Amino acid sequence: MAENSGTDPAVNTNTEENAATSGTIIMVTVKTPKDKEEIAISEDSSVAQFKEEISKRFKAKQDQLVLIFAGKILKDGDTLNQHGIKDGLTVHLVIKTAQKASGGGSSQASVSTTPGTPPVNRSGTGSANPSPASTGGTAQGTGPSPAPAQPANLLSGFGDLSNLSGLGMGSANFMELQQQMQRQLMSNPEMLSQIMENPLVQNMMSNPDLMRQMIVANPQMQQLMERNPEISHMLNNPELMRQTMELARNPAMMQEMMRNQDRALSNLESIPGGYNALRRMYTDIQEPMFSAAREQFGNNPFSALGGNGENSGVQPSRTENREPLPNPWGPSSTGSTENRATGTTTTTSSTSSSTSGTTPSVSNPLGVDAASLGNGIFNSPGMQSLMQQISENPQLMQNMLSAPYMRSMMQSLAQNPDIASQVLMNNPLFAGNPQLQEQLRHQLPVFLQQMQNPEALSVMTNPRAMQALMQIQQGLQTLQTECPGLMPSLVPGGLPGGLPGGLPGGLPGGIPVGLPGGLPGGLPVVSLVVSQVVSLVASLVVSQVVSQVPLFLQQAARPQRTRLLPRARGPPPLLGPTPLSSSLCSKCYRCLPEEVHQPRLQR
Amino acid sequence: MDQHNTTYSVQLYIYDLSRGMARQLSPIMLGKQLDGIWHTAIVVFGEEFFFGGVGISSCAPGGTMLGPPDSVVELGNTEVNEEIFMDYLSSLGETSYRGDRYRLFEHNCNTFTNEVAQFLTGRKIPSYITDLPSEVLSTPFGQVLRPILDSIHIAPPGGNVINGHNNHS
Repeated sequence: MAENSGTDPAVNTNTEENAATSGTIIMVTVKTPKDKEEIAISEDSSVAQFKEEISKRFKAKQDQLVLIFAGKILKDGDTLNQHGIKDGLTVHLVIKTAQKASGGGSSQASVSTTPGTPPVNRSGTGSANPSPASTGGTAQGTGPSPAPAQPANLLSGFGDLSNLSGLGMGSANFMELQQQMQRQLMSNPEMLSQIMENPLVQNMMSNPDLMRQMIVANPQMQQLMERNPEISHMLNNPELMRQTMELARNPAMMQEMMRNQDRALSNLESIPGGYNALRRMYTDIQEPMFSAAREQFGNNPFSALGGNGENSGVQPSRTENREPLPNPWGPSSTGSTENRATGTTTTTSSTSSSTSGTTPSVSNPLGVDAASLGNGIFNSPGMQSLMQQISENPQLMQNMLSAPYMRSMMQSLAQNPDIASQVLMNNPLFAGNPQLQEQLRHQLPVFLQQMQNPEALSVMTNPRAMQALMQIQQGLQTLQTECPGLMPSLVPGGLPGGLPGGLPGGLPGGIPVGLPGGLPGGLPVVSLVVSQVVSLVASLVVSQVVSQVPLFLQQAARPQRTRLLPRARGPPPLLGPTPLSSSLCSKCYRCLPEEVHQPRLQR
Repeated sequence: MDQHNTTYSVQLYIYDLSRGMARQLSPIMLGKQLDGIWHTAIVVFGEEFFFGGVGISSCAPGGTMLGPPDSVVELGNTEVNEEIFMDYLSSLGETSYRGDRYRLFEHNCNTFTNEVAQFLTGRKIPSYITDLPSEVLSTPFGQVLRPILDSIHIAPPGGNVINGHNNHS
């Protein structure tokens, strides 16, 4: 066929809007992803002519134009009539940049819709023209890389989770730190049980409203909740929350639950359609949850807990656990010995000069060389970057401080300095350093009092003040490296001693100056612990959902009452803190109906 | 016509986000019967494409958290090949279908699906899907919920994101 197969062959040279043919002029809308234009063209004209018009209007070469109408690609040789293009209809246009990867499959070409920018490999239309540059530039064979002059976005294959990590905290470094801590935590199951056993944590967890708030505040949880309304339903069920919290407290109980769940699940398989439901449930809920959790935790959090249950038994040790963690900041105490009556701490500090050096280890993820740090933890790079972010982003501190659980936590901490000290002791950052712990213990009550002081809080939200603090800390650090002998006497407790008369009253001398730096450091640490707990409980709640679903399906298969709603004859709903010694027991929601109810566990 | 062109079949996957709860509860809550809260995706070239809070995403058909679709509608065939389609999607993903352009009522997954369906086949998706937002908003309860719902972005994870900017923080 000739290129122009219009009814009048003379239109070939016509470049005007009005074709020279006798056809009527129609207005056709040409729509690109970015743009929409109305083009007047003769209804008898050919596609080639149409493209000519379009190329003028859109400033693109005709070769780059791909016209689509009703799912068909308009070829130059066709006429508009042939495709039924009439007045007022819309034709789709794609402008190719003509940089081709191999067609089909998952490899993508870098795309630009700015016409006329010849990319590296200009080739024909659509043919399989492997260009190593472009395929090399794509990441993981996923979506096409972004627009003009931008190389393939390597993160485009990572899905949504990388975005999610940017949410919520507003600062990537903070997230990294948190993730590191979580990973560390999760890789040490004993530590996890320690934290769980901690009365502060238990206190927190026995307050269902608090837990619910914390869980709901998690953006990933929110997403999950949108997709699965059952989850929000679960969260609103106080009995369920109580169960979850008890579970979290007692790893042995958790293990038992898991076993029951497995049993229920295996029963489920025998129901017609049950296996599919199982699979579906798994991919619906568990898998993304696990992969999300894995992102955070570095491994399956439940394996840590379940395995831990076996190791630590029903009675987990209540002593502080320092063993698994080498001492990341051993000799730091040379600079930070406390001026106490006994000189023993001095001796111990000088003898415990074993450093973990600067190589990052599990418990020392930041690879901090503790030897040079008088202020111990708070001059570590991680903490410093943290403080930098805090000073740069007062909103962050404010958010953190004004979070509802923060207040109640502060209060309970203040009322119970022992608990607080225990929490901080068990924190991976502090563990393994007896000197720090000693100091912590002594300074905590004052520290906590200071936290309650609104002036102190306002200082922390003041970016300039924070910056000043950081400068002071850096100065102290320099001093230490310059004259290490000077420091021990200068820093009588260079740790979170907070601000006894420090900040609000100006900075008397240089001495307490080391202390305020500790204050903001303590908070994020504690909040990190809290956030880990929250994530853990969130995952527990989801597992609850997971366990509910098969039961529900079972219910559907058997004519029985649904279990998704609280049982009428179940244990009385408890809205407040539950006594720790309650049993999971009789008429619990876990027993299958044909089993005799038996108390599962006694604490 | 075009005997020598290969065509690709295009399907519409329809999911009920409420898992049947809308069918049961909508008469009570909204005062009118809604059979579901519909989420749709286009399946073509062996992949499922949908629009959410992070932009245009793709995954294996039925591979989102929602599992297999509640119903499938054959939209027909298209001659558009995968390459052109991906070009098209990329352009969309940079402009009107960036992640931050998601609006639950006015510019949601179904808007995207509708547009893509028209691009690929010339046909629109069934109207009961695209009419859903206006149905909800025409109830007093919908009006009350609107500010809350406006801030929800539905973005099933686990897929690959196709758009111009992956980091929009």
